[in-house]
Amino acid sequence: MKSILLGLARAALGAIFLYAAVTKLPDMAAFATDIANYRMLPAALVPATSAAVVGIELAVGLLLVAGVAARAAALVTAGMLVFFIAGLSQALLRGIDLHCGCFGGTELATWGTVGRDVPMLAAAVAVAAWGPGRIRPGGVGRLGVDGGR
Amino acid sequence: MKIYLQAALVAVAGSLAGLAANAASPHPAPLGRPVRALAEAGTGTCQLPAEGPLATPRISVAEAEVRCTACTAGFVDAREEREYEAGHITNALHLAPEGAGEEAVLAQLAAFPLVVIYDGQADCGRAEAVARRLRARGVKAVRVLTGSWPAWMAAGGPGVSGPCDLCQQGVAR
Repeated sequence: MKSILLGLARAALGAIFLYAAVTKLPDMAAFATDIANYRMLPAALVPATSAAVVGIELAVGLLLVAGVAARAAALVTAGMLVFFIAGLSQALLRGIDLHCGCFGGTELATWGTVGRDVPMLAAAVAVAAWGPGRIRPGGVGRLGVDGGR
Repeated sequence: MKIYLQAALVAVAGSLAGLAANAASPHPAPLGRPVRALAEAGTGTCQLPAEGPLATPRISVAEAEVRCTACTAGFVDAREEREYEAGHITNALHLAPEGAGEEAVLAQLAAFPLVVIYDGQADCGRAEAVARRLRARGVKAVRVLTGSWPAWMAAGGPGVSGPCDLCQQGVAR
């Protein structure tokens, strides 16, 4: 049962990150502005950082969905979510009115956005700690390629 | 230890993939130059273009200023009342997205062929809400001011401070 839950969490997390990356690809300039609006990074680092964020989202999304190097991908995902939660929280605490930049649209950053990241962080930590699990009961194969614990 | 090495590899490979994806994007992030927060660039207020079929068309500060001088547009400040009192476009009325004062404001605006609304938000959300409110009451020609009050001030547009007396009385000041 635990293994199935881990598998489902991994696949869902991967799908969310893939979706988040794909929605940003058509307008990377807008996402860079969203990142700048958090006022956490020097302006010169914003464009490369925003491109890297999208690329990492894409990479971990693919790896989590495929179940390849899933624990490492989940670890990176957890790190990104900590970064997102910290960024959102500092912006909200400083009273900065901004778009979260989460899925490429114009969704405003709120404490609800932070709350949405917390279960994703829990899922990422679980997959990183206990392994990728499996989606089908009794199923074997590449979904467990890097092994569970 | 292996998992940390793999994670580092994933992060590096992902970053490189992101740079490649950026190059392929129709609107890439400008890697060669800094990107500043809209607020720090002085352009953070109501700069987003109208999106969607129900969005209110925008009007530039330059065009709005001409209409302000010629009195061919009525102006509505959709910000908080304290922000309005701190400083607003000369002769602008105050109307929040919700609450009282609509009738008096509508009576004032009836004299103008065009209504220009501005707010203090990045996505022009309050101005859009007030625009919807006015359209629902039959005001047809409505525009949202791009750049809002900061851009207006930066362009040297006329402004005053104080409460909106005419909003309550229905009498122009």
